[in-house]
Amino acid sequence: MSAVLTELRAAWHPVAAGTDLPPRHAFQGELLGRELVAWRADDGFVNVWENRCLHRGVRLSIGTNDGTELVCRYHGWRYASRSAGCTYIPAHPADAPARTICNRTFPAVERYGLVWTGEDPVGEVPDVAVLEGGHTDLRHLPFDAPADLVMAELGSLRFAPVGSPSGEPVGVDVVEIGPLTVALTASDGSAESSVVVFVQPVDAAHCVVRPVLAGVVDAADLRAVRRHHATALETLRTSVEEIARTLPGPEPYEVLLERAPVHVADPAPPVAGRTAPLRVRVARKWRTSAEVMAFDLESIGDPLPTHQPGAHIDVHLPNGLVRQYSLTNGPGDTASYVIGVKREPESRGGSVALHDTVREGDVLAISEPRNNFVLRRDSPRTVLIAGGIGLTPLLAMARALHRMGAGFELHIFARSDEHLPFADVLETLGSSVHTHLGLDPAATGVTLGELLAEPASTDQVYVCGPGPMLDAARSLAAAAGWADEAVHFEYFANTTEIDVSSTFEVSLARSALTVTVPAGSTILEVMRENGVAVPSSCEQGACGTCSVAVIEGQPDHQDVYLSESERARGDRMMVCVSRARGDRLVLDV
Amino acid sequence: MIRLYDWELSVNCYKQRLMMGILGVDYESVPVDFYPGREHKSPEFAEINPLGHIPVLVDGDYSLRDAHAILVYLAAKYDPSRRWYPVDEPELLGETAQWMLFAEATTNTASAARLHVNLGYDFDIEECRAGAHRLFRVLDEHLWFRERDGLGWVAGAEHPTIADIAIFPDVMLSEEGGISRLDYPALRRWTDRVRRIPGFVVMPGIFPVGDGPERADPLSIA
Amino acid sequence: MAGSRDSVTAAASDVCADPAMVDQWYAIAALEEVPADTPAATVLLGVDVGFGVDGSGGPVAWRAAGSRGAEPLPVREDFGYLWTSVGDPPELFAVPEVDEADRRTLNAATIGIATSTGRAIENFLDMAHFPYVHTGVLGAEPYTEVAEYSIEMRDGEIWATGCRFYQPLAAAASTDGTVVDYVYRVPHPACAMLYKSAPTDDGRMDAIGIFVQPVGEEFVRAHLFLSLVDDVSADAGIRRFQQTIFGQDKPILENQYPKRLPLDPRAETPIRADRSAIAYRRWLSDLGVTYGVIPA
Repeated sequence: MSAVLTELRAAWHPVAAGTDLPPRHAFQGELLGRELVAWRADDGFVNVWENRCLHRGVRLSIGTNDGTELVCRYHGWRYASRSAGCTYIPAHPADAPARTICNRTFPAVERYGLVWTGEDPVGEVPDVAVLEGGHTDLRHLPFDAPADLVMAELGSLRFAPVGSPSGEPVGVDVVEIGPLTVALTASDGSAESSVVVFVQPVDAAHCVVRPVLAGVVDAADLRAVRRHHATALETLRTSVEEIARTLPGPEPYEVLLERAPVHVADPAPPVAGRTAPLRVRVARKWRTSAEVMAFDLESIGDPLPTHQPGAHIDVHLPNGLVRQYSLTNGPGDTASYVIGVKREPESRGGSVALHDTVREGDVLAISEPRNNFVLRRDSPRTVLIAGGIGLTPLLAMARALHRMGAGFELHIFARSDEHLPFADVLETLGSSVHTHLGLDPAATGVTLGELLAEPASTDQVYVCGPGPMLDAARSLAAAAGWADEAVHFEYFANTTEIDVSSTFEVSLARSALTVTVPAGSTILEVMRENGVAVPSSCEQGACGTCSVAVIEGQPDHQDVYLSESERARGDRMMVCVSRARGDRLVLDV
Repeated sequence: MIRLYDWELSVNCYKQRLMMGILGVDYESVPVDFYPGREHKSPEFAEINPLGHIPVLVDGDYSLRDAHAILVYLAAKYDPSRRWYPVDEPELLGETAQWMLFAEATTNTASAARLHVNLGYDFDIEECRAGAHRLFRVLDEHLWFRERDGLGWVAGAEHPTIADIAIFPDVMLSEEGGISRLDYPALRRWTDRVRRIPGFVVMPGIFPVGDGPERADPLSIA
Repeated sequence: MAGSRDSVTAAASDVCADPAMVDQWYAIAALEEVPADTPAATVLLGVDVGFGVDGSGGPVAWRAAGSRGAEPLPVREDFGYLWTSVGDPPELFAVPEVDEADRRTLNAATIGIATSTGRAIENFLDMAHFPYVHTGVLGAEPYTEVAEYSIEMRDGEIWATGCRFYQPLAAAASTDGTVVDYVYRVPHPACAMLYKSAPTDDGRMDAIGIFVQPVGEEFVRAHLFLSLVDDVSADAGIRRFQQTIFGQDKPILENQYPKRLPLDPRAETPIRADRSAIAYRRWLSDLGVTYGVIPA
């Protein structure tokens, strides 16, 4: 790579005007030969990503900006604002996407009316003193000419200073204030104005010239000033492109395409211990119902990992307790995690600590989000049933379905209006929300029976609430003819039991380690827990990255990567999904 | 019932489907095997249009050919608001006509390039593309200044006109002719706005854009 | 202006030296479109090819358009197309359906697409895009799940069987939604077939083929072949339906980057629904294909 290119990759460049990113638009840009998609989320956050879906390389700029996620046009894969993590793969609605499926992001800063980014920019967006007193945006122009040629020719730009009595264009004084930035000052004796011109190197043969006028122009003159500058720049463009056509075409920039991310397991996390790698600050704590406090947890440092509807986090409390709370945020909303905590009278100290001790500004340690309550989104009718604080995971689900325009009903059982948490969010979900207030257990059972009556074969139901309510819902659903796999539960406490009746052993020959893989865990997970690193990527048995040689034992292949004959040979397996037919495998790891 | 002699992949036929979709006009599409059947050049079709091209619109006893003429007719006849073809506002009507002629130029460059790439029509592809880029530069600048006046459409009104309908498909399908729109961000934003007009319909090659922002200001930032 | 980012149709450097691709038959035109009077020109694997009709009325093809007879190329007429080769091709695969007397066999379209052969074939094998690209026709949200299906090699061809997908309007003769059965078959690096339940006859399957003519590494002409059990629809209606589908795929293919098909499975993120594409990419690797792909 040339020294010039190395330097350009380490610099900040403007790639768009702030006004190029209106809400719900996906902007297509390019910098140093790499195509970018830039889009503004509804909360104002500007995302700048590589312009390719990780799945099949389709430009994300032809997809849809839905306000919190960018949706690929080809297969509907959804990517969250901020993290660029994939939140949903519609072809496999029952599976949460692997956490490794995350687009390449670039830092984005808005300054001087421009959106700045870079391949790997060092330091901050440069200060431009002359623009600090106010600025006016002008028309930007793409040039079919290399950036260095345009830089050399910018001195021949002519314009009239704002307020010039004659209005005649005059020559400019040129001050180079950065590698691709010049300040041009025009003066006709009575008036003077400066234009700072930023040149964006699109690729080796193209650039975009982005002028910014120093100072604020009176609204009445704005149109004329912009017209004047656009005409001046157009005149320059005509002459520069004329020159560029006579020059030999430059060598194209070398662009490094991102591969699908290969995840290498963290070395040796403590066995069976819970980890809490994330630090969050309590940005806001508020009472959302009579018994429920809400906490808005924002990241300190790195952006928060992508979460899916139904996910929960472990919260490590100041008193040493660890508690699980569901995330209520909508999909793609990765600015912070919002949880709701009900004060439990019989609490052993978890909810009480959060209610009474934790204050705004406090720092908490939390785990990465996990999801045992995956939302399918391929049903024409999804029924969400919440008992009290059981609303929290279902709220995230309802927001996801609402945003996608999917058919759903959210039923909430609560004692009274005062006991209804997150009423402000519920209001945004419109007529899909139904509340059932003040019902005794018998009346609750009757209502549940009505809600679960006569399911269509494609219906899905998700229930979260107190144990007795779940038990009632479970038996009513069975009686009404719901298929087992269409009924999804989450208990307040994480009661996922590992089925130890079907374990098998895996000996890792080179690691001199024998581990037990219980049902519900994958070989890959168990290896990771024991500090044995194996590269993996899709974690669906599709990409072949985690292929491992089998020395002894018969694999139970569950991947789609190996051919039939390779399966029959039995000498390789994908440890992310495949298991053992017998009770023991020996792997060359 | 109105009949439209129609080919699914024709931009000029799509202009009529789009206009009738937006105006809520019922019509029957009569598929013409334009390619590979070349039905529009058949003796039978010469009875319908002796020039041998599509679209042709037949409304009762009335028959009309040429895409942009049909747009004039549809808007004048079926838009009671009189905004799509603004006959009551001479300045705006003049501008609309001016941009309708611009659409003839985008059709003869951008859409010609598409026919060359897709179906091997014998056009000077480099000249088609260069011509389309010249037009797109003009239109992008025009739309950029419109946005600064709080206006989102090709002619200077708060409401779109048939000029938007006439130009939109040529722009939207330009990449099929190998003409990148990377350099025209204002043009790309305008294609979002057109795709959010109530009643908008797609054609192959044009995808919907999803819900829009609640505010109508083309420069609004949440 | 902005020329370098505009797509190109073919470049001289595209002349193919890859025996895995050179030594194949390729469809270059529908027989009914072979002109009887003046010779026609096309490009195959970067080679200028002329074709037309000889004195006895049979189709002929030759290397370098305009110099008829300079270097004749082998030709064959199969499934309604003129096939030729710029190398030493093996026997062409069979499509037994064309011999069934009551089928309608026709060329739905020949369309130029700025993509590689591999991307075009892979898209043809893909079901997961139906709800998003062929919305309301071959798929519709929320019915997005791709159920498990089987892949096997049969006589050197890839077969995907047991494929099922919900379709609101599966073919020209359909009126409402149904779950459609599919079988896919890849008998040739540039040709794929699909068989789907015929809407007008429960027991039989329509056959649809894509025969890709690689013009260059990043530009193809795709010939869309139909052999249908449909005595209801007119040709124009059948073509309209298939051309609509084709026209919807085109912008996707032209917005894929890189245009050449990456054969390294880690270059793009596959999912279980992609198992036919996984098999296809691995098969191309095994065949040693280098033209129009990024080798693993």
